[in-house]
Parts: sequence; structure tokens; C-alpha cells
Amino acid sequence: MIHVIWETIKVQMKNSWARPMFRFTLVASPVLNTVLIYEMFLHSGRHDATSYIILGSGLMGLWSSICFSSIGDIARDRYMGVLPFLFTSPSNYNLLIVAKTIGNTVLASLTLVISAVTAAGLFRLTLQIPHPGLFIAALLVTIAGFIAISIPISYLMLLSRKTGLYMNVLDIPVTLLCGFVFPLSMLPSWTRPISAVLVPTWSTRLLQLSLRITPDWPAWRTTLLWNGGLIVVYVGLTALFWRVIEHRVRQQATLEVNE
Amino acid sequence: MPMIKVDHLERDFVQQNIHWWKRTSTIVHAVRDLSFAVQPGEIFGLLGQNGAGKTTTIKTLTTLLLPTAGTAQVNGLDVARDYKAIRQHINFIFGGELGLYRRLSARDNLLYFGSLYRLPLPTLAKRADELLALVGLDNEAERLVETFSKGMIQKLQIARGLINDPSVLFMDEPTIGLDAMSVQNLHKIILQAKQKGTTIVLTTHYLHEAEVLCDHLVVIDQGQKVAGGTVAEVIDAGQKQVPDTAITSLEDAYIALIEGGGTHDPRHLGNH
Repeated sequence: MIHVIWETIKVQMKNSWARPMFRFTLVASPVLNTVLIYEMFLHSGRHDATSYIILGSGLMGLWSSICFSSIGDIARDRYMGVLPFLFTSPSNYNLLIVAKTIGNTVLASLTLVISAVTAAGLFRLTLQIPHPGLFIAALLVTIAGFIAISIPISYLMLLSRKTGLYMNVLDIPVTLLCGFVFPLSMLPSWTRPISAVLVPTWSTRLLQLSLRITPDWPAWRTTLLWNGGLIVVYVGLTALFWRVIEHRVRQQATLEVNE
Repeated sequence: MPMIKVDHLERDFVQQNIHWWKRTSTIVHAVRDLSFAVQPGEIFGLLGQNGAGKTTTIKTLTTLLLPTAGTAQVNGLDVARDYKAIRQHINFIFGGELGLYRRLSARDNLLYFGSLYRLPLPTLAKRADELLALVGLDNEAERLVETFSKGMIQKLQIARGLINDPSVLFMDEPTIGLDAMSVQNLHKIILQAKQKGTTIVLTTHYLHEAEVLCDHLVVIDQGQKVAGGTVAEVIDAGQKQVPDTAITSLEDAYIALIEGGGTHDPRHLGNH
């Protein structure tokens, strides 16, 4: 099982890196996002502007990479005609999706580094990390959260051939609703419940909390619980729906492109 | 016991028709009341026109699709219920240029698809090299698939299909678009696999190919079986359709059977 996961991660990384669009999303997009968000926050006077500029552009790039890779990979596998072979291999397809998502997310985490380097190089902004241990923990929880949200979305894409539409629809709204680039308090109150059920909202919050000089432990505990709880809910729902999705895929013949 | 048993198999598809103001659906009967059996170690042919239901039948047998009605068994296992157990022992090849990672090398493709069958790495690496040599791609092993010609891709597909040494290999139009030399080479590989005891189910539009390779075959028209048996038996069945004309080849018999049996419209059955 470990061998299958490892091979899938390797193949996923090779395939993703070979795509010019992925390289653009991974490398150029965080640079452009950093410039854009810097301009947005230039006259804001906010003390946490630097964290929004660096983390925001990194998280935007991370989400875009995941959106256009983990989700788009189903479409690419479908168009390349490999989806039927993956789906009917003796290895559990769940495992393959998890491994693909891990591969993408780990590779896409590079966006955070590129954003930090861009901010430092162009604007002399550096992220002050008072507690590196806490920051690394928050980063790991964030990566776990992003993996957790992209797995059920990938599954749902098995049922539809309109993956291109969905990944475009998901990209910007999640960026806005999860508070990657500005505080959620700026959004209308009716959006709060939607933000609350999206795990990247809490991952972003955790990253922001990890940058405080004096750790706010009660806030940490609450945010960590939301992260953990939502990850468990996503994984649970995914497991619950998998049998239904697998059955429907075989019933509706959605693994290949329409002739 | 037959290696494959198809019993009154039916497979319908729902076709969505989208209009400006409403959406309707039509049921398409791709396979209707199809029955046949494939013995272990034989090459079995599925013949029929485009849209006859050959690929749908293969996809059902390879556990990609669920039957709408009837049953299908591979090695005594039911395709609807025991699909996980079936997958370990089968593999399939679709004609054309799909089914491989184009941005990976030929060898990487084989190693990856082989790993999905949980073969130990040393065994897998050895098998990948053997198969690349078998299909004549040993000198191109490290080249990216996107640089391959159609014939080379098809050869690699065959190597991929054999990577887990399957008991049953399904081949859907494997020689489509190949040049004469490649076709001959593929026939040799198919016969070698048969000699090793692999059961092969093959669809093809090339009737000469079916005549040369298949031990038994069925002719399907509009989802239904119109004839079956050995090549000689199918030629006899064709002769019965046109008693006044001498039928001497599978091709003549096939045309007689299709022209004589094509009375149904498989795309029928009303809106919902």
C-alpha cells in the first residue's frame, strides 16, 4: 500500500510539473498575487498587512494549484483515457486520489515560499515568525486541511464531465470566503456560515494566530478544534459517499469523455 | 467451467437531451439479452458494427460498467458484486492513443501501472523491461510517450495490458490504425499470450483478423447476438441467411448476418 501511495505521489508530481499551466500557477501566480495584495494593503494601515500579503498570496496560489490540479486531474485523467485503468485497478481508487492530492498539495506548498521571497525581494517585507514551532504546526494543519477539502471535491468530479467549469467556479469564491486575502469581517454577515464550514477558513486563522508575539491559547484551541473537527467531517463524509459515488460511476459511465 | 459467462446481459444508457426550456432523457439500449461463454485459454471475438454494443460488453466485463439486467461472470465471479476480486486477474486495452500518461516515459508508465497491481518492485522492473522488449520498445523505454507514434503508443498499451500477467485480457480494437508490420507483430503477441494460457476477448472490425485469431466468436448487431460459434459455424449461419449466394468467408457471412438481422432500433424507447 505504501508503495502504491509513493508511486502515485511521484507520478502526480512529475505529471503536474510537466504542465506549463501548473508551473505558471505555482511560480508566476504567487508573484503576481503578492504584488496585487501589496497594492491592496499599501494604504490600509493594518498592523497585520504583511501577513495578509505573504500568507494571502501563498494561500491563494496553494488553493489555485490544488483547484486546478487535484480537481483538474480528474478531467486530465479522463481526457488521457487513464481514468478507467486507475478506477478498475486492484488498488483502491480512494488511495490513489489521496496520494494524488498529497502530491499536489506538497508541491503547491511552494507557493508560500515564492510569496515570501517575492515580498522580501520587491517590497522588503518579511514575515516575522515569533514561534517557529507554532507556525510549522499551523502550516502542517493547513496542508492537512487543504488535502481534506480537495479529496471529496475530486470524488464528486468523478460523477461529472464538467470539471473545467467547477474548478473555475471554486477558485475565487473559496479565496474570498476563507479570508485568504482580507479579514472575513469585511464580508457580509450572511457569508459567515459558509466560511465556517470551509476548513481553509480555520487553517488561515490558525496561520494568522501563529504569528502573534503572545500566543492566544484559547483562540488556538478553538481554531484547532474547528480544523480537526472539519477534517474529520470531510473524511467521514467522503468515506460515507464513496460507495455511492463508485456505484453511480459504474451506472452512469462517467469515466470517459463523451464521444 | 467457462472463464467468462454472459447470461441475458442488458445494458441501457440514459441520454440527456437539453433544450432551451427543458431537459428530456432517452434510454438507449446498448446491449440486449446477450449470452455467450468463453472457455479458458481461448481467443474469443466480439464482432459488430460501430455502436453494436461490443465496447459496452467489454466495459461491463472489465467492471467499468454495471449491467442493467442479466449477469456476467469472470472466472466464476459476478461483475456487479465481486468486482474487486475480478480486477486483480484481468487487464484491458482500448484501441487508439488513449490510456497512458503522455508526459511520462514508456518505462515510467509501465512501472506505475504495474505498481497498481501491487507487484514487488524488482519483479515489476524486470517485467517492464521484458514487456518493452516483447513489443519492440526496449530502445525507446526512456522516451516520453508524447513523442511516440500511434503504433508505438499501441505497442506500449499492449505492454501495459500484460504488466500484471492477467488471466483474462480484454482487447477493444487493438489493431485500429496500425500498419501491417505492427498488426502482424501484435498478432504474434496475442498468440504468445494464448499459448501461456491467457484467455483473450477481442473486438475488431477487421474480419480477417478475427478469422486468423479467434477460436470462437459472436456477431452482435444493435446490442443483440445474431450468430455465434467457431468461424465455420458463423459462416454456416451467414449462409442460412442468404441460401442463394455462396458464402465462403467470414466477411461475406458477417455482411449477410448484419443485413439480415438488422431489424431493431436500439436507440428507441421514449422520453422521460
